Amino acid sequence: MKAKEKLIEEHKVPAPTPIAPQSATSVVGVSKRFGKTSVLENISFDVAEGEALVLLGASGSGKTTILRIIAGLEQPYTGKVILHGREVTELPARERGVGVIFQSYALFPKMTVEKNIGYGLRIRKRKRREIRETVNELLTLVQLEEHRNKYPSQLSGGQQQRVAIARTLAYKPEVLLFDEPFGALDTQTRKRLRREIRELLRKVNVPAIFITHDQEEALELGDRVAVINKGHIEQIGTPFEIYTHPATEYVATFLGAANLLEAVVRNSGLEFGKTRIAAELDRERFKEGACVKIVFRPEDVFISKSEFVKPGQHKLSSAVVEEISFVGAYERVRLRLEKNGRDECATDDQFFLTTDTPESQSVKSIIATRPKPEASSTRLRVGERVVVAITSFTVLPSK
Amino acid sequence: MRHVRGFDVVRPLSIGMLVFMMMPLVFLPLASIFIFGTSNGLDKFWAALTAPEAVFALKLSMATSFWATMFNVLFGLFAAYVLSRYNFWGRNALIVTISLPTAIPTAVAGFALLLLWGPYGTLGRFLAPQGIQVMFTAGAIILANIFVTFPLAFGVIKPVFDTMSRSLEEASATIGATRWQTFWYVTLPSLRGAIVSGALLTFARAVGEFGSTILVSGNLAGHTQTAPLYIFAKFNEGQIEAANAIAIVLALFSFLIFSVLFFARDWLDVD
Repeated sequence: MKAKEKLIEEHKVPAPTPIAPQSATSVVGVSKRFGKTSVLENISFDVAEGEALVLLGASGSGKTTILRIIAGLEQPYTGKVILHGREVTELPARERGVGVIFQSYALFPKMTVEKNIGYGLRIRKRKRREIRETVNELLTLVQLEEHRNKYPSQLSGGQQQRVAIARTLAYKPEVLLFDEPFGALDTQTRKRLRREIRELLRKVNVPAIFITHDQEEALELGDRVAVINKGHIEQIGTPFEIYTHPATEYVATFLGAANLLEAVVRNSGLEFGKTRIAAELDRERFKEGACVKIVFRPEDVFISKSEFVKPGQHKLSSAVVEEISFVGAYERVRLRLEKNGRDECATDDQFFLTTDTPESQSVKSIIATRPKPEASSTRLRVGERVVVAITSFTVLPSK
Repeated sequence: MRHVRGFDVVRPLSIGMLVFMMMPLVFLPLASIFIFGTSNGLDKFWAALTAPEAVFALKLSMATSFWATMFNVLFGLFAAYVLSRYNFWGRNALIVTISLPTAIPTAVAGFALLLLWGPYGTLGRFLAPQGIQVMFTAGAIILANIFVTFPLAFGVIKPVFDTMSRSLEEASATIGATRWQTFWYVTLPSLRGAIVSGALLTFARAVGEFGSTILVSGNLAGHTQTAPLYIFAKFNEGQIEAANAIAIVLALFSFLIFSVLFFARDWLDVD
C-alpha cells in the first residue's frame, strides 16, 4: 500500500511552481551600522521556494553583511528577517535552521567527512540509525561515498565544498546561504562547480542565496540577481533583465562592459549631436530636453563600411578605428566617435564611457565586439573610417 | 679558502664547531650524571633509588606537579578563551600579568608566597588561629608550582586560539550547536595539540622546580621534600650516590617529555 502510494507520488507531474504566496526568505527594511558608518540601508527582498538569488556587489558593498544578518551572525540595526513566515530577527543563529556555506567551507578539521555531515544531527541528539541513514543518503547525493572516512584536509576544494553543502542539508535548512562559494578556486574548477551546485539545488529544492562579486557567476547561478552597491540594492531581477535593461548606470557598468553616451530627449526621441535616434521613452521619466545617457553593450555595436545600416539598427555617427584586438572568442574594436554637432548635454564635448576594460578609462571612444565570422568577412584596419550603429540600448537619466 | 667543487668546507666546519661548543656546556654535564651514578654498580644505584625518602620525594614531585599542571592547563584554557575572544579595557594588562611569573626569579616567587600565606603573612595570620597552615605543606608546593608555571600552558594555547578561524565556531552555531557544544566538539579538538604540549611543558617545569619550593615547603624529608630538594639535601650531606640516583631519574624524565614533544609534534599538530 505504502509502496503504491509512493509510486503514484513519484509519477505525479510536478505542478509548475507558482510564485509562492509565502516566500521562503524575506528580508524587510534591513539596515545596519557599524559605529557611525552605515553599511546597509533599507534592504528588502524575497526569495521564493526553490529559487536561487544572487547578491552581486563589489567588495565592501555590504553583501556579506546581509548574509550574516540572515544567518543570525550579525544583528540588523532596523528591519526584519522572515524565514517561511516565521520572524527570526531576534533568534540566535543556532535556532534559525539556516545553512551557511562559508567561503573557507569551515569544515571541522578533526572530524571525518561522515562526522562533519552528521554533526547537525548529532547535536540534535537524533538516533544513531537515523544519523547513519541520512549521512549515507547525503554522501550519495554529493558523490563522496568513497571519501567518507577522510579528513577535510585530504579533500580537494570542490569536494570540501560538497561536504559543506551536505553538512547543512542534513538538518533540512530553511535556506542555503553561500558566501563567495567559488572565491578560492581556479577558473576551470569554478565553472564545473557552478554547474554541479545548480544541479544539486534543483534536486534538493532548497532556496539559496549566493554572494559573489563575479558577474559571470551571478548571471549563471541566479534565477534572480540583486546588484548591491554601497549598502543598497541598485536593481533586482532576472539575469536577462539586469543585463539587457540595467536600471542604473552602476548596474550597467558593473555587469559586463557597457558604453555610455550622453544625449538629449527631443521630439519623443533622442538626439545625439545631430543624429536622431528613435526610442520609445517613458514620458514621465524623460521630459523633453532632459539629458540622458544611452547605454549599450559592445556586442550591440554594428560597424558598417558604408552609410547604409540595416533596419532596426540605430545609426550613431561616423568613427575612426583606433585599435583592434583579438580576444579569443571575438574581436574587440576601439572606435573614436565623431560627433557631428554639439548639444547642451555633453559635459565637455567628450564622449563619456565606462567599461570594465582598463584602457578605455581615459579615451573618448567606445568599445565594440564582433564575432569571428563577421570579423573575418568585413576586415577593419586601424585608422579606417566607418559608420557606427547600435542594435539595442537602454536609456538612463543623466546624473 | 680553497673551494673544491661540490664541497663546501664551511659546512662540516661549522657543524663541528657547534658540537664542540655544546660538549662542555650540555653533553658532558649530562653524561657525567650517568657515568657517576652507575660507577659503583647498578646494585648501589638501585638501592639509592629505592630508599624510602627518595621514593617519597619522587612521588611528591609527581603529585604536586600533576595538580599544578591540571590547574594551569584549565586556567590557561579559560584565560586564553577570554583573552582572545573578547576585547576589553585592560586586556593587554591582564596578558602581561599572566606572563609575568616567568620573569620573576623563583626565589622571589617563593618568598612572595611566604609573605602572603606564612603564619605572619598578609592572609596567613588570619588563617593560623583557625589552625589552617598553608605553608610548609604539599599544598604550598602546589601553590609555588602553579605560580612559577602559570603562563606556560596559557602561552601555548593562546596563539592557537588567536589563529583559529572564527568561521568554524560560526559554522557550528548556524548548524544548531549551543556554545557549549561548539566548544566541546569544535574548539577543544582543535586545541588538543596545544593542550597536550602545554601540559607537558608545565609538568616538566614543575617537576624540576627548586627555588620557590625550598622556601615554601620546609624541606622536611619524607614530608615536604620534593625530588630536586632531595638532590640538594643529599649532596649537602655528602651522599653523592643518593643525590645522583634521583638526578638520573629526573634527567631521563625530562628527556622523555621532550622526546614526546618533539616526535609527537606531527600528531599534535594534525589538522
